[in-house]
Amino acid sequence: MKELPELFDLRIKARALAYLFTAGAGLAALTLLLPHDPEFRETQIRVVIAIAAVVAAALYRFADRLREVHVQVALAIGTTLLGFANYYAGTSTLYALLYTWAGLYAFYFFNTRMALVHTAYIGVSYAIVLASREPPSPAVRWLLGVGTPLVAGLLISRMLDRLRAGYAEADERGRELRESEARTRLVLDSAPDAFITLDADGVIRGWNRAAERMFGWTAEEAIGEPMRTLITPEEHRDRHEQRRRAMLEDDASSPTSHYEVELLRRDGTRFPAESTVSKVDVRGETLVAGFVRDVTDRRRQQQEREELLREQAARAEAEHVAELVSGMQLLVDAALAHRTLGDIVSDLVTRVRTVLDADAASIFLAEERGLILAAAAGGRAPEPRAEPLPFGEGFAGRVAGRREPMLLQDPEPSELPYPELEDLKIDSVIGLPLLAEGEVIGVLIVCAAAPRHFSADDVSLLRLAADRVALAVDHARVYEREHRIAETLQRSLLPERLPQLPGLSVAARYLPAAAEAEVGGDWYDVLPTPSGGVGLVMGDVAGKGLAAASMVGRLRSALRAYALEGHAPSRVVEQLNRLIWTEEDESQMATLIYAVVDPVAEELRWVNAGHPPPLLLSDGEPPEFLQGGGSVPLGVMPFPDFAEASARIDQGATVVLYTDGLVERPGEHLDTGLKRLASIVDVPSGDPQELCDRVLRALVPHGGAPDDVALLTLHTIPMSDSFSVELPTQPEALASMRALLRRWLRQLGSEQDIAEIVTACGEAATNAIEHAGAAGPFEMSGRIEGQTVDIEVRDFGAWRAAREGDRGRGLSLMQALMDTVEVTPTPEGTTVRLRRTLIQPTSNGDRQ
Amino acid sequence: MDLVQLEIEERGDVVIASVSGELDLAGAPSTGEAIGEAVPTSARTLVVDFTKLEFIDSSGIAMLFNLVRRLGARRQELRVVARGGEPVSRVLEIVEFNRAAPVHETLDEALAQVPTDGA
Repeated sequence: MKELPELFDLRIKARALAYLFTAGAGLAALTLLLPHDPEFRETQIRVVIAIAAVVAAALYRFADRLREVHVQVALAIGTTLLGFANYYAGTSTLYALLYTWAGLYAFYFFNTRMALVHTAYIGVSYAIVLASREPPSPAVRWLLGVGTPLVAGLLISRMLDRLRAGYAEADERGRELRESEARTRLVLDSAPDAFITLDADGVIRGWNRAAERMFGWTAEEAIGEPMRTLITPEEHRDRHEQRRRAMLEDDASSPTSHYEVELLRRDGTRFPAESTVSKVDVRGETLVAGFVRDVTDRRRQQQEREELLREQAARAEAEHVAELVSGMQLLVDAALAHRTLGDIVSDLVTRVRTVLDADAASIFLAEERGLILAAAAGGRAPEPRAEPLPFGEGFAGRVAGRREPMLLQDPEPSELPYPELEDLKIDSVIGLPLLAEGEVIGVLIVCAAAPRHFSADDVSLLRLAADRVALAVDHARVYEREHRIAETLQRSLLPERLPQLPGLSVAARYLPAAAEAEVGGDWYDVLPTPSGGVGLVMGDVAGKGLAAASMVGRLRSALRAYALEGHAPSRVVEQLNRLIWTEEDESQMATLIYAVVDPVAEELRWVNAGHPPPLLLSDGEPPEFLQGGGSVPLGVMPFPDFAEASARIDQGATVVLYTDGLVERPGEHLDTGLKRLASIVDVPSGDPQELCDRVLRALVPHGGAPDDVALLTLHTIPMSDSFSVELPTQPEALASMRALLRRWLRQLGSEQDIAEIVTACGEAATNAIEHAGAAGPFEMSGRIEGQTVDIEVRDFGAWRAAREGDRGRGLSLMQALMDTVEVTPTPEGTTVRLRRTLIQPTSNGDRQ
Repeated sequence: MDLVQLEIEERGDVVIASVSGELDLAGAPSTGEAIGEAVPTSARTLVVDFTKLEFIDSSGIAMLFNLVRRLGARRQELRVVARGGEPVSRVLEIVEFNRAAPVHETLDEALAQVPTDGA
């Protein structure tokens, strides 16, 4: 018989018993008042009542602290007191009623066993009392007859209620349980997964339909068999037992476990399975229940997917390497295309970062004193650092020192190759030395931040990248060194500033090619000739780089030497041809125009050795390419015929010389380029600087020309009735000054007039040069009014008193040659004003 | 800048210095120096031939006066050749160079005037 749950706590039991004692004591007291026979012993009854009252009070008072056994003992005491009271009351049967109460109490509040014990004790004590029993009084009978059924009826009905409620509850639970089990079974049977239940001994107790299908055993066959022998392969049985025991002993609240296991079918075949196992208590019995899923298909799909992924990864890896190699190869190609080192390294880091999917990449270049961070990609741009990183210091320095790749995992901020990387939360860094011919020329750094991560496996791939980078960097370094020398040399060969020539203005431009990082062999020069003219040189030595630049140097020096000796243009070019012909390097060749402008004769004489033709711009005429004076380029024949050609160059005309880089375009006829140039210069300009700018703006594409471009323009300033020039305070300026004056006066006076005025002005200019010393230029201006020539020479030096001899002679010469001579010394300088009225060309007067 | 060219010729104890081009501050000092050094102490006469000279200024004149002083100290004589009517002779006239040294119309005339030993 199942125990019903305890419905009352001890406090209620104790108080109920206290009430029972009180009621018993009250009833006993009532018997004292009622008429009783002489056998009734009042004194003893009073004692019993007092004891009962004390017990009642104690029960009530200490109800909180009592235990079950106290209550039971108290009831036994009550029964005993009842026996004594019954005995002392004589024939009174009132106390039989109280016996009934005690029995009912016991049944109501105690469990069945204890209730029976109490009932037995009541029966024994009542039997003893009945041995001397006399028939009860009518009043007692009445009380028994009415009170006992009443109290018993109340209590019994209360007890029946309780029993009914208990059964109803149990019945409801049972029904729900049954329904639930049915539903569960239905679910379990239709489930795709096998559901197996084991008892505490590992014997199968539940086996659903899916289990039947999965294992080939029916439920009837399986249930009652131990799982370990039925479906567990022999080598896994020990482990199965261990797990099952561990699960049973584990008291954790939700002991659900997942296993991947191998199980056995009835036909002996095996299959992979996943099981989810839980421990369940069903009506006090501990069971182990688990779902089992056949994962053969899933495992196979997973394997296929893994294989596919592996294959894809392998292919991606192969493509990645191929891409890397080709990307790196492009860089090598770029280096071969002669780009600057700075361009190369910044391109390299960007490309390395992209190709390797790195978060940052940087290149340190080795210099004499250590490593310089030359380029970085990814993250914040590093601050430039003045001091190189010594070898052996810092991460990059250590890589360079060891000459071996290094992998740094989870670097501290202080360990990073440069501090700006801290922002990127870098978690792995690889540093690789860049080696060229055994020398460390730099360090390549590649960084990864989560989720990207570099491991030792990446080092070998990166080594490949580093080899290419080293190759490109090395090439660029060697090239840049050579390039720097050639560029310096070539720059030194171009005139730093053009000579200032009275009556003429000259402008020149030199633009190195945009794409070509190598200097070309273009050069130009402007030099005054002994005759007062101006030599213009535009040349182009074949080839590029150092060899071409040094050839330019030799040609330039030789040309200056020959020209300043006063040789005619054809003779000068002849000498240059001899120079280049005798070069050991037989491939040396150059095109050249040497032109001399004689501003007095207003004549241009030139020789063109295979160069694009000079362009002459005269007022009111279309641009004219000057043909003639042509010959083969220098260095082609030992003694070619260098014929001179000449053209008249009017006042205000402009001569334009240029190299082919200005007019030639790939795939285009040269004439097209020449026409383009002619159309640009068709609008006249009195300012050669403006003309140069205009031409370059129109003809040089954005980002630079494909080849070097040199451009030289000379403009003859038209001379009117007045002029004003600024001349350098150098003796060499005197010849130019004389040429200018002769040109100005050419139309006006006789040869004698001109010669004498030129001589007088020369004396004034000589004075100015000697006064001013190195202090800036002097000015000369001239004006003609009618037949009178008025010339002013102004210097900004300190006046020197006429010395005996030379300078005194200068002044007397001026006075002899001119009508009036005024010398005005001021603190700022000296002004000499010369005036002379022209005589007829035929006359030969003496003005002394 | 060599605007001026110089050719030296020795005929016995006569040294002929032919100056062509233009003689100004840029070329006169070096030209005078070159001529002075070209005259050996054994020479009796220096003839400076300006026939092909196109221009002379006070610097060129100063050069001549320097040569006169230098040669005089060595008891050597200086003669100058300049064609009349040309700008160069005009300048020589203005500074009255003939007071310092004889100026001849032609080289032959100058050489003819050179005194010969025991002639």
